[in-house]
Amino acid sequence: MTVNDWVEGAQWFFMLYFIGINTGYLMLNLLSLGSLKRYVEAHSLDDIPSRLSGFELPVSVLVPAYNEQVTIASSVRSILQLDYPEFEVIVINDGSRDGTMEALRREFGLEPFPEAYWQRLSVKPVRAIYRSKMHPTLRVIDKENGGKADALNAGINASRYPLFCSVDADSVLERVSMRRVVQPFLENPHTIASGGSIRIANGCTFDSGFLTSKGLPRNPLALFQVVEYMRAFLFGRLGWSPLNAVLIISGAFGVFRKEVVVKAGGYRTDTVGEDMELVVRLHRLHRTGNIPYRIVFVPDPVCWTEAPQKLLVLKNQRMRWQRGLIESLTLNIGLLFHRRGGTAGWLAFPFMVLFEWLGPLVEVAGYCFMITAFFTGLVSLEAFVTFMLVAFGLGLVLSINSLLLEEISFHIYQKPHQIVVLLLVVVLENFGYRQLNSVWRFWALLLWMFHFKLHWGEMPRSASWQTGPGGPHKGVGQ
Amino acid sequence: MALWMPQDPMLQMVFMFGIGAIIFSLLLLILVFLLRVRVLIRQRRQRFYEAQWQPLLAECVFAVPAQLPQVSRNMRYHFLRVWNFHHESLVGASRANLKALARAMHLEEIARELMYTGNLRERMIAVMTLGHLGDRTQWHELRALVSDPSPVLSLLAARALLDIDASSILAWLVTVMAARDDWPMSRVVTMLKEVGPEVATQPLISAVEATASSKGAEAQVARLLRMMEVAHTERVLPVAGKIVRQVKSPELIAAALRLVQDPRDLDIVRAYAAHEAWFVRVSAIRVLGRIGDVSDRRLLTGMLSDPQWWVRYRAARALLALPGTRIEDLEKISGTLEDRFAADILGQAIAEARSS
Repeated sequence: MTVNDWVEGAQWFFMLYFIGINTGYLMLNLLSLGSLKRYVEAHSLDDIPSRLSGFELPVSVLVPAYNEQVTIASSVRSILQLDYPEFEVIVINDGSRDGTMEALRREFGLEPFPEAYWQRLSVKPVRAIYRSKMHPTLRVIDKENGGKADALNAGINASRYPLFCSVDADSVLERVSMRRVVQPFLENPHTIASGGSIRIANGCTFDSGFLTSKGLPRNPLALFQVVEYMRAFLFGRLGWSPLNAVLIISGAFGVFRKEVVVKAGGYRTDTVGEDMELVVRLHRLHRTGNIPYRIVFVPDPVCWTEAPQKLLVLKNQRMRWQRGLIESLTLNIGLLFHRRGGTAGWLAFPFMVLFEWLGPLVEVAGYCFMITAFFTGLVSLEAFVTFMLVAFGLGLVLSINSLLLEEISFHIYQKPHQIVVLLLVVVLENFGYRQLNSVWRFWALLLWMFHFKLHWGEMPRSASWQTGPGGPHKGVGQ
Repeated sequence: MALWMPQDPMLQMVFMFGIGAIIFSLLLLILVFLLRVRVLIRQRRQRFYEAQWQPLLAECVFAVPAQLPQVSRNMRYHFLRVWNFHHESLVGASRANLKALARAMHLEEIARELMYTGNLRERMIAVMTLGHLGDRTQWHELRALVSDPSPVLSLLAARALLDIDASSILAWLVTVMAARDDWPMSRVVTMLKEVGPEVATQPLISAVEATASSKGAEAQVARLLRMMEVAHTERVLPVAGKIVRQVKSPELIAAALRLVQDPRDLDIVRAYAAHEAWFVRVSAIRVLGRIGDVSDRRLLTGMLSDPQWWVRYRAARALLALPGTRIEDLEKISGTLEDRFAADILGQAIAEARSS
């Protein structure tokens, strides 16, 4: 084979890969379209008042906190006001070095409580357990630092109810969020996990920890993430849900059946993607053990989270996500093409390996190869233009499709100028932002391959949504 | 001007594919824009009509309004939504006024039409309306809808039937409620609570008695036993005592124990406190906490050392609930316990009792 044959082969490989990956996502889009339509219709009467039966499943809300002194009080206050008949809140202070514990003591009148702690999952030593004098359903576990997964395991140990919900300390929940996400457990006894849709809080206004109006951020990075989250949740996850092949439930808001998670061994503490790893492991254990189960995604926007507005912070976050994804897949590789793997093992898992795990490698290599080959004369102008046209054209279809899904379902952003901005953003994100993401993810893949440990840095919180009861309305990171 | 095209036929094909993607993107952009325009027009129209409907529907709190709301054909679904919203929010005479208004507007005819011709959301609102209006003409159609594969639509049909005539349908409906595990128990119990224990008790008892002895019907019996929690306690007691002795599966024993309130059943309850399944032991201990006596103190103290945390916790709570038990008595017991787990759990229960 001559050099030209190799170049032509590579050129076609990259072109077909780009067509393949985007066609795969388009298929997911189609699946999501059907699910979303059915979901919206079936829940069209949800706002008509209904009585409670007292038979709703009680939930333990677990809030792991590490150095969250700025946001923790507001977050807990908003969780305590959830519209749900029976729930407890367990905050796990994971050895914070700032004033998180003091803030909790001061705001909620904590007193030491002699709890007979049941250590079902092995965790770092618990220093003390507190109970709030003002809110009897609020408990705080003060423990030595062991990471988020360890904190969640400590919360599971202390939880009393059959379902637990993991919530990030910097997220804001919709009042009805718990009802929406618990619903699949009531409808099907085989449901073991259910995740909600997360949206970007930047640009929105909040009062006393509750969302009062939905807006778009002014920061361009945050704006790109608004569209990215729409895409990730409205078809990245919803498409897999009817196939019972959702492999990711965000750690920011997910509900699980406790006994199932305990039986599976709880969250793994040796991975940065403990949320995804748990879900993939649950799939693997249930599929290979031939145990009926359902893992569901609820498309309602139920949880709002602050997006990074600085490039370095965003880079760290994306690299951590990519590392988490790779670790989750490698730790559960037994599910891939397992004879009882079903849709999770034969469709979702290979899809993740091909397009999410190896995707950045091929994408970055594809762009680099085509650009280098074009400038060195190895690839013709025609082939180069065709490659770019296909790559950007299909990227554009996917970006606009996510906006279409949003329009036929929740249309969160109501004002006409917001839709104009979003239309602009979905076009612009294809010219640099998506490629930059691929580069970060590719870098994370390289670091993983060469066993480099990553230093994540911290995610600085503006926490400007924190206002006291009756305080002024404020926006996040505008 | 000729279109620029690659010479290679394969490249030409991919190039056209790319052009197709760009054109498709532009069409999608236009579609998103048009959808938004449609939403805005619909919302504006809805706001306009609702501003007229709301005062008239609000009048129903006091009397049937003299003037009837104007509802155009394409606003029928929205009016039914608003009407049902008010119906669920109001009680007593106000509801009767709302129904009178609906009859004057022939809403039942609109609902009947939507039930056959509408999409899922229109059928749902139609079924709900027919139930609220007590429209008997669609009785058989609603009964057939109870078997619809959609849990949302079938549940609404079941509720409509109960709204129309609960006493004549409940005997059949409870068997469906027991069989359909896609109907959330919380919804089923809400419907039974709305019907009331007078109507619900007998059909539930009959269904439990008929199903309890059938083989392979454990799941149904378990659901029925949960539903029985809305029935009249004094009529359930003999059945609960009988069932709790009759059933063998641990899940059913636990479900039946939840209904036991009669001290005459205490012997069997005490026996179940030693059952091998921990959740049966928990259920038995909870009954002892409800109806047990001082003689159960020894049994419960022993259970503070059970290997299962929940059994220990419920035993500690039950000890606190026994008649004539003071916190000081339990503190004394706690001081004598040699098992650290037993002392810890009792300490927690005492602290909870003190802080509540």
